[in-house]
Amino acid sequence: MKLNTKTMKLSIGVAGVAVGVFGAMSLSARPPFTDAQIAQQQQDLLEVVNKGRDEWHGSNPQMSSNGLACGNCHPDAAASNPNTFPKFVPQLNEVAPMREMINWCIVHPQDGKALDPNGPDMVALEAYAVYLYRGQKIEPGYTLPLPADTVKSGVGFPAKPSGIGVDK
Amino acid sequence: MSDSKDLSRRHFLGLAGKAGLATVAARAIGVNLGLVEILSAQTGKGAITPFSFAIITDSHLFSIPDHKFDKALADAVAQVNALTPAVDFVVYTGDIAQNGKEDQLVKGKKILAGLKAPLKVIPGEHDWYLDMGKAWNGMFGKETWSFDHKGVHLVGLNSILVRDFWTGAGLTAEQRMSTMEMLESPIAGPWGVREAQLEFLEKDVKKLPANTPVVIFTHSPLWDYYPRWNFQTEDAPQIRQILAKFDHVTSLHGHVHQTVFNQIGNLSSAGALSTSWPWPYPPVNLAYPGSQMTQSDPANTKDGMGTQSISFDASAAGLVQYEPFANSLTPWLKAGVKV
Repeated sequence: MKLNTKTMKLSIGVAGVAVGVFGAMSLSARPPFTDAQIAQQQQDLLEVVNKGRDEWHGSNPQMSSNGLACGNCHPDAAASNPNTFPKFVPQLNEVAPMREMINWCIVHPQDGKALDPNGPDMVALEAYAVYLYRGQKIEPGYTLPLPADTVKSGVGFPAKPSGIGVDK
Repeated sequence: MSDSKDLSRRHFLGLAGKAGLATVAARAIGVNLGLVEILSAQTGKGAITPFSFAIITDSHLFSIPDHKFDKALADAVAQVNALTPAVDFVVYTGDIAQNGKEDQLVKGKKILAGLKAPLKVIPGEHDWYLDMGKAWNGMFGKETWSFDHKGVHLVGLNSILVRDFWTGAGLTAEQRMSTMEMLESPIAGPWGVREAQLEFLEKDVKKLPANTPVVIFTHSPLWDYYPRWNFQTEDAPQIRQILAKFDHVTSLHGHVHQTVFNQIGNLSSAGALSTSWPWPYPPVNLAYPGSQMTQSDPANTKDGMGTQSISFDASAAGLVQYEPFANSLTPWLKAGVKV
């Protein structure tokens, strides 16, 4: 369905009212789930996260034909912050969600077969990465800046170390 | 450099003929550091003939035939063979194999046999924990060694020794190996060189004068970089203490699959590029943030990997020059890192 501007504004207005009403109601409503239910939901989540951790480290043979797993280049899901997606992915030449990036890595560096983007394996991989990055601020499209001094040429190392990262 | 030294030498010899050695030595200390250098050369202390060697590391060969990492290691061998001037020797700082299997080590040894220069090897955890180094020792000999070369003392240690986590847990050799393969595995605990090698090192350097340049090779860094990924060596403080008497110690290590530099007291250390894949930088602030290469491009299958050559000159300083397969170096990394 294609929405014209007027319809969209109306829809957003209605949605805003609905959120407002729901929000007000939730203040006086009883908790929607019992502690046991919440514990079960948490357990379900952790099971999927653990499945994702195993697949990240090579448990799914579909994902690789050369022995490489996500964890080879991304220990602790390093350089894979899911909060940065969707972002422009040079390999795909478009703005893409994380699952497309994961499939690119599976097909190219790992020489495996792409996963169903909406299947349980992909959900598990995403759940693992999201879990490790929980609490990090969400900055879609954010990429790590280069260290400030990488652009200086011929300066060499700073004269004195900061002391950080040096053991006692 | 060598020209001016030759002139100094002639000058010194001329003076020595006229005034006698002791007098010239006294004068030289006061007025001419160059002559002091010549004097020490004459007495055999601290004399270095400039030379270079190369490091290849972390090839992580799989058993799969014609794997892309086989080609990468062969490329590294070709790259090192093509270095000019030719290197005196090559050091491989660990992780020839991915899963510690004998066929992987055999494949690595065969590819490395293409090197024109002599090879010295130390193990990494991927080489070791399937059979506790049996196959590795059979192929590459002792993992602890030292030798002198043109005035520099070089030592290799096995830094990937962990406490026994497998016997109590009833793990098979394969389970032990796969536990060690996972970089962020919390089970195995910290690595170290342990007592026997600390004793070896202590005896090895005991009689060396303090002005001997020392180069030490380990798989893991000799400082607490990022212990969670074993970017550390538990007994590095003891190693540094044993080597504290020396004017300058150079630590060169693999394992981190990236360019990184640090300096603690008299010990300066540099990490080596792998020939397999680059690790991302861990989430810690570096004392020398400029030693980071640019983030590697996953679409370029050779980016963030390569070899390095290290040249020692008469000043005892080593210049590490990274020889990447694809260029991910920052401008001044390209110029070389003094260690």
